[in-house]
Amino acid sequence: MHDTPKKMQYSLDMFRCGALVTDKQRRIIYANSYFLEELKWPLDELIGKAIDEIFNRPSKIFCESYLMPLLMHNKKCEEIQLSLLDGEGVKIPVIVNAHMDSNETIYWSIFNATNRSKLYQELVDARTKLEAQAEVLESLSSTDDLTGLMNKREMTIRAPLLLEQSQRFKHSISVLMIDIDFFKKINDNHGHLEGDRVLKEFGRCLTEFGRQSDLISRFGGEEFLLMLPDTNSEGANVCAKRVHDLVTKIRVANGSITVSIGICVTDGTQAYETICQRADEALYQAKNSGRNRTVFFK
Amino acid sequence: MSFKTEIIERNNVQVIGSGSKVLLLAHGFGCDQNMWRFMIPQLSSDFKIVLFDYVGSGKSDVSQYDKKRYSTLDGYAQDVLDVCQALELKELVFVGHSVSSIIGLLASIQKPIIFSKLVMICPSPCFLNFPPEYLGGFDKEDLEELLNLMDTNYIGWASYLAPLVMGTENSESLVTELSDSFCSTDPVAAKTFARATFFSDYRHILKEASLPTLILQSNDDALASVAVGEFMKNEMAHCELEIVKAKGHCLHMTHPDSIAPELIRFVNL
Repeated sequence: MHDTPKKMQYSLDMFRCGALVTDKQRRIIYANSYFLEELKWPLDELIGKAIDEIFNRPSKIFCESYLMPLLMHNKKCEEIQLSLLDGEGVKIPVIVNAHMDSNETIYWSIFNATNRSKLYQELVDARTKLEAQAEVLESLSSTDDLTGLMNKREMTIRAPLLLEQSQRFKHSISVLMIDIDFFKKINDNHGHLEGDRVLKEFGRCLTEFGRQSDLISRFGGEEFLLMLPDTNSEGANVCAKRVHDLVTKIRVANGSITVSIGICVTDGTQAYETICQRADEALYQAKNSGRNRTVFFK
Repeated sequence: MSFKTEIIERNNVQVIGSGSKVLLLAHGFGCDQNMWRFMIPQLSSDFKIVLFDYVGSGKSDVSQYDKKRYSTLDGYAQDVLDVCQALELKELVFVGHSVSSIIGLLASIQKPIIFSKLVMICPSPCFLNFPPEYLGGFDKEDLEELLNLMDTNYIGWASYLAPLVMGTENSESLVTELSDSFCSTDPVAAKTFARATFFSDYRHILKEASLPTLILQSNDDALASVAVGEFMKNEMAHCELEIVKAKGHCLHMTHPDSIAPELIRFVNL
């Protein structure tokens, strides 16, 4: 026959983890001897302290923002990693499980997580690095190298969303297809570097002039596509005039460049491709009727 | 889809209670609209209550999350304004917990006509210390460590973050229905919200406050001290500060019985 274990033979002091009890005011009313032996807290100093006093400041915020609301809501929480301060003020990563009874007494179990914390840190660092790399790649794939504007690919992704939005909110949207006049001549007469400088400057011009909500892209070669939400033909005309004005500041040899602009105004019901085609047709007309002008698609 | 339906779905908007006055309850950083459930029994008979989750929190439509928009509190203020516009709310009393107090203030400065009063529960316009003139309570390193803590805890939770089980004593249908999202915020959204909350400094907008405002502050709150409440009262016009004898940062969860009467009194003034 087995000996029946006597209740008094076992106590919480035998467990190799911290056990704490806090009252409704979240003051510590019990701590097992693990706190003294492993965490260097004189027990009489610990009793009466608010629970958050044994956590470091970041953990206090985490406690107040996640742990306490979880406890109030679910009456328990598990596997929360926090940093505890030992009796000498040294930070120790711990895993906390807690549950709350109907009197709001909370029973806390606290496990040292120093090794696990190192592993987590490695995982977090690896993820942060991957996230940063993904962000760079995403930006590279959506941006035009030379001008820093979005590229045609990105425009093709974002334009339909903008069109959908304008249809929903019943706003008109203006699409401007802009082409730098005689760009080939700049390249031929002054070299590609000069051509690149003009494209860059024009890109910068458009960025400075555009609103935050506008989509501005280099569509290819010396062609740029702008989508201006909540802009009717009157507004588009004002914008086009400003672009014609702004480019006079971009000088090549003794003159300044000019641009031709084709505009299509839509209520968002036509497909993106159709709108581009119409803006392109208008641009073609602008080119054919002497360049340095704006033509609306009719 | 109409703007109204879209916003109701996007921000998981819930309207409960009845009354001529409207209370818009805005949750703080960390959890979602469920934080208000302890207050609702005392408020829903007298007021129409509008609850919502910021995009990225609770049961909002995470697919609408835009990291850039939600990197500053203005993005969250726009959520508030969108909800007001969708429900055509006017003359409402905005009740914000913690960072939402500042979000509400930003929204009210932008569109004052929508709001009649503000109630701020444990607010802070700036959690950072700028000694000697202002002590928000935390240094930059503390807040960096907090972000790190959120990361490690997400990894820790990921294995079992399946619906959190409710305690048996919580039987309200509202709770059962919504509880599985409580605090299980998307990690990218949560970190962005944390950064927008804890690294921002909105002390300068306090002077622009013009609406009657009630601040309810704990006398023992690790996140927002009494001194922060007093600072806000001094900076804001028409501001009343009530210090509640309580421990912690979530008065609306821990002390609904103390703050609900204060709130009702202020709304009915």
